[in-house]
Amino acid sequence: MINRHFSGLIRECGCGLVPALLATMLTVAPAAAKDTGLIFVSNEKSNNIIVLDPKTNKVVKDMKTSRRPRDMHFSADRTKLYVACGDDDVIEIIDVAKLEVIGRIPTGASPETFVVDEKRRRIYVANEEGSSLSIIDMDQGITVHEVPTGAEPEGVFLTEDGNQLYVTSEVGDIVHLVDAEGGHVLQDVVVGTRPRRFAATPDRKELWVTTELSGEVYIIDRTKFEVSGKIEFLPPGMRKTDVTPVGLIMTKDGATAYVTLGHAAHVAVVDVATRKIQAYILVGKRSWGIQLSRDERSLYVANGFGDDVTVIDARTRKATISIPVGRIPWGVVIDD
Amino acid sequence: MISLQLAKWMKNWRRARCAPSPLRGEGWGEGAPSSFGRTPLTLTLSPEGRGNRPSQPRPQWLNATLRALAFVFVTTQAVHAQTPPPAPPQPAPQAPQQRLTIGVVEIENDPRYEPIRAYERLILKTREHPYAGAQVGVGEAQGFARVLRTDFALERITVKSPDAVASAVTEALASRNIQYFILDVPAEAFKPLAAAVRGKDVLLFNASAQEDSLRREVCSREIVHVIPSQAMYMDALTQLLASRKWRDVLALQGPLPADVAMTKAFENSVKKFGLRLVATREFKAGTDPREREKNNPLLLTAGTRDFDVVFIADNGFEFARQVPYQIVRARPVIGSIDLEPVAWHWTWEHNGAPQINTRFNKATDGRRMEGADWAAWMAVKMVVQATLRTRSNEFRKQREFILGDTGFDGYKGLAVSVRKWDQQLRQAVFLATPFSVAASAPVEGFLHKTNTLDTLGDDEPETPCRVNR
Repeated sequence: MINRHFSGLIRECGCGLVPALLATMLTVAPAAAKDTGLIFVSNEKSNNIIVLDPKTNKVVKDMKTSRRPRDMHFSADRTKLYVACGDDDVIEIIDVAKLEVIGRIPTGASPETFVVDEKRRRIYVANEEGSSLSIIDMDQGITVHEVPTGAEPEGVFLTEDGNQLYVTSEVGDIVHLVDAEGGHVLQDVVVGTRPRRFAATPDRKELWVTTELSGEVYIIDRTKFEVSGKIEFLPPGMRKTDVTPVGLIMTKDGATAYVTLGHAAHVAVVDVATRKIQAYILVGKRSWGIQLSRDERSLYVANGFGDDVTVIDARTRKATISIPVGRIPWGVVIDD
Repeated sequence: MISLQLAKWMKNWRRARCAPSPLRGEGWGEGAPSSFGRTPLTLTLSPEGRGNRPSQPRPQWLNATLRALAFVFVTTQAVHAQTPPPAPPQPAPQAPQQRLTIGVVEIENDPRYEPIRAYERLILKTREHPYAGAQVGVGEAQGFARVLRTDFALERITVKSPDAVASAVTEALASRNIQYFILDVPAEAFKPLAAAVRGKDVLLFNASAQEDSLRREVCSREIVHVIPSQAMYMDALTQLLASRKWRDVLALQGPLPADVAMTKAFENSVKKFGLRLVATREFKAGTDPREREKNNPLLLTAGTRDFDVVFIADNGFEFARQVPYQIVRARPVIGSIDLEPVAWHWTWEHNGAPQINTRFNKATDGRRMEGADWAAWMAVKMVVQATLRTRSNEFRKQREFILGDTGFDGYKGLAVSVRKWDQQLRQAVFLATPFSVAASAPVEGFLHKTNTLDTLGDDEPETPCRVNR
């Protein structure tokens, strides 16, 4: 009886109900965990997260996830890790202490990157194949808004006050400024070809965005919301067409930025103030996701076409070791 | 028990998720006003419009509403849906001031799009006009409508015969000021068309005719060849053979003029990349024992010195499909079957290709994107990018951008751009097996002094065409 009732509702109401229930049922309070120092690597093609021990550089856990895990973010207390799984249209919740999947939140088509706003209990996720940004109520596990964006939205950045978002459209060569509360696009700015990911300077004045196919980083003046500069990359011996910047991270003091150059198999080190490139560090092919350890001494780079993660000593600017992980590693996060 | 039911619900949910894409439905891509960014997003609890018009895609916000409603209902208010605060008023959308229409010219009952059959009821391949590719391109451009204050639209112009193409294009230019056209017409339409538009402010994108003669002899400043040329296809194929050191090739040539042209192009490529032709033999489909030297693949491939591969040129496809595994030696077959050079393939996994393949697939109810679809999509993209990057509605500025050096993202690696000398789009060519792309040409190791893409097809010193001189 109840079952029939439910399936009727499913037909009537579209997509969100059952996963919402599932999420509610499956989400149990995770055990307390903090500063394990563990490194989490999502692997697009092997559908798993490989957990590495930073001291031994060994795999401590191979965690199965839903299909095509990509972007990952910790909860504020670091007890939970959220993982967007593109081919199953869910964000999975992982208990960091137990290293187990403990819940699932349904998303739009092919979630790629996302941000978590714990204060408002919301997740903002770009749906690569849905041309929209979903605004998800974390507690109910349901999508409360869909913001139409340009085709293939990718990078998502939440402003420090949580009121606005920046979203790239890969096909549109556009960065949208989105009103997070109202859920609509306020303004657009045109950047280079296939804009990907963001980083903001700590003074909140500049937003950096990688543009994969034009091989650049565009710098957006956040007060005027217009392009104020750009940086072109070309590691020695590489062709311009191989330079496909995607990943981007800045040190906490905003002095240095690290940019992964994709098929050019290098990480560029950029002095943020002068926008000058200081060094290129050799890594693996299709280097994408990049992460800094909290002490900012180590950099971790996911090499998509090397099936490994390269560890870089940030001071000497040299790769120290490459650790095999899953197939097509996408991103890295560190619990430290 | 519970978990079993959960699994069932989950399955139902997945099925229910297959909601129509926002790109589908009537009117989009044909100048339907863009609703981009104007959808009201307040979470209202109004049931209006609920499920009454199943043919129309349900708006996303309504889905969200229904989901929220259902959730509240089922849990008998165990959980209260949080009604988000009302959305602030949206900025007034700026009405697009411009409308840019791209004409897509096709021939009614074009034999090139008839299905390939083994016999009447057994269809081996269906073939579709690339119009859907252009539609997907226009769908993507909706994201720009607001920034550019330009709406992009298509006008499908279907004419009775190749002779009628020139007049249809000049008429659309004169009466409706359409300056961009995607040509989905056979080679014979090009010469009169080029004469009719010479010196006019139009740009015609060739999306489906691969004949080298159009690049070499017709050689028109008003035409951009988006689809690769025959020479490019054959160079791509030959590069792979050379890189594998499969040097000795036996060529089988069909009776159609297109087969002869394809074989000739292949022979040129063989010379260009230093392969060796063991022999070129003509085949003829049939079972006549008097012609068995021509219709029997065993005999066709016997009596020569050893070869590494068999190349077959068979645009009719009837014979080619019966050649693999039916020859005297254990050798692969390439050309019209098994390993084919294509402008696009539905299995290409890199450079953002899965996303465009999915968009196309959704927009066409499951069709796989092919070379001509890609070319039509690319043509629209070039026009849209020209508008975006020049920030101008002036045709001449846009044309200058399209024909310039900047390059476009064709979703297949190296940026595509228009060759100055014959206005062929330089681009990668895929070497496709039925279920995978074996290689993308230019194959690694083939270098060029300016752009490796120019190792495919007519390079500047080789072409007789000098469009921009």
